[in-house]
Amino acid sequence: MSKRTLPRILQTPAVILLLIWMLVPLSMTLYFSFIRYVLNSNIRPEWTTPALSNWRGFGNYAYVLKAKDFIFAIQNSVLIVGSILIITVILGLGIAVLINRNFPGRGIVRVLLISPFFVMPAVNAVLWINMILDPVLGLQGIAVGGINNLIDGLRDFPVLGWFFNLWPTFEPISFRATQTSAYAVIMMVAWQWTPFAVLIFMTSLQSEDESQKEAATLDGASPWSQFINLTVPHLARPIAIVVMIQSIFHLSLYAEIEIVSRGNGNKNLPYLIGEFTSNNIGAASATGIFAVILANIIAIFLLRMVGKSLMD
Amino acid sequence: MAAVTERSNFGKIAWPVVAWIVALIFFFPIFWLVFTSFKTDADAVKPEHLFRFTPTLENYTNMTQNYDYWRFAINSVITSTFATLFALFVGVPAAYAMAFNPSRHTKDILMWMLSTKMLPAAAVLYPMTFLTKNFLGIFDTHFLVIVVLCLINLPIVIWMLFTYFKEIPKEIIEAGKMDGVNTWGEIKDILIPLAWGGIASTALLTFIFCWNEAYWTVRLTTIDAATLSKLIEGNRAPEGLFFGRLSAVSTAAIAPIVILGWFCQKQLVQGLTFGAVK
Repeated sequence: MSKRTLPRILQTPAVILLLIWMLVPLSMTLYFSFIRYVLNSNIRPEWTTPALSNWRGFGNYAYVLKAKDFIFAIQNSVLIVGSILIITVILGLGIAVLINRNFPGRGIVRVLLISPFFVMPAVNAVLWINMILDPVLGLQGIAVGGINNLIDGLRDFPVLGWFFNLWPTFEPISFRATQTSAYAVIMMVAWQWTPFAVLIFMTSLQSEDESQKEAATLDGASPWSQFINLTVPHLARPIAIVVMIQSIFHLSLYAEIEIVSRGNGNKNLPYLIGEFTSNNIGAASATGIFAVILANIIAIFLLRMVGKSLMD
Repeated sequence: MAAVTERSNFGKIAWPVVAWIVALIFFFPIFWLVFTSFKTDADAVKPEHLFRFTPTLENYTNMTQNYDYWRFAINSVITSTFATLFALFVGVPAAYAMAFNPSRHTKDILMWMLSTKMLPAAAVLYPMTFLTKNFLGIFDTHFLVIVVLCLINLPIVIWMLFTYFKEIPKEIIEAGKMDGVNTWGEIKDILIPLAWGGIASTALLTFIFCWNEAYWTVRLTTIDAATLSKLIEGNRAPEGLFFGRLSAVSTAAIAPIVILGWFCQKQLVQGLTFGAVK
């Protein structure tokens, strides 16, 4: 056996498996996106089989583009992903700098901080929307109720009572079923992924050139200007990595949206695909192709970036 | 000078205090979940029992009865374990070949593998359901869940292993060749012992991802092969009923992985960034 063939044989199973995994379902989606295909129809029973005679051309794409939820779903995807990215990068940077020095109990602090990342998405959503954010029974509801009771009590207070009479009664926010459900999703996912950003920034901070910093200190540079001029450029690459990896994960968020509001007032593209899939497979497939295109645009940037560091 | 020492003294105390507060805030939701799991369903929603209550284990002892917990937990263990093993079984030889005998195309193949990870799962939801239900008849089987979990994690497995294997000096493997060791011997006797740490952390991370996966495991199963993700998603209590028992089953669902995660947090970075951050 020549020196060349054996390595090829060793990587063949992996390549073939992934090729099948990628090509078979995706080509089916592509095909379905060009035909009329529904799961149930009394009026047009011929549409319930995926036959080539139901060819619709780009009709499904036109239909999806006009569907009222499509633009909303794209906007919402961008809102959710964008907000999570901003929150996690800023918090991640702050916390990474915070724990990047020695102090008592640093090991435990790290363990506590990283924990949310290991919580399964379904539990994350159940925990936040019920035990924490529920407007009546969750901690939010209990806290708001407590504040209102406190203010109520102070209203009868001599002299100062008039001041507390000016205060409103606070209303807890419901995080189900309206646009606020998107904020709930942003909150819970940001909580889960900030530790990821912290881990990566911290690893990067530890490889920072300390002698440069010492030189800067001797030159009288303030800690803030050191942070801006030395640390931030050093962190540019990890920030880009954090942004890209999270984009890929969060563009396909599903469990959290399902659990928080079943898509009421808060849908992203995968959720819209899921809704179409309950009957209109043609539209679901066309939406799927849009989602693939969107993911590819982001993937190209990520691949370029990790590609550079791959072989050195 | 005095001002400087004062500031650093202040920093010496304030810095760890702030760090501890931030860490406790982040950990608080998990703490609250565990805390609530020791309350009865009635106590869990009463403000007067927020902190003062009689702790009970009844949510845990009734977990089997209320949720059939073990059935789902066993499914999670089986599917995650076998998916991890299969992914390693396919991934180790592939990463070995790419790391020690790279060709012109190795980089492109690795990139392409990673790009399969970026396909949005929802885009192929119906074809997958159709294929597995109507065509192959493997819908809601352990086999299907294992295969899918293995495939969605295979790119990450190969990438992680590749970054670990690359660190091993080629000369060691070459020396084995001189001694007339065959390829299988190279992998078994030289590579695996040398890269044991890397392989172990790859396995741990893959296991965590499999356990927490919440799209395919929910949508390609009904009962027989349903995992803990499906159990929790199916039992989200409407409007605050059963907070106590829901907390208990959620705690039981995440505990193995959170604890496992504590032990492999350092390896996590390298795996998740595909070696792009050092």
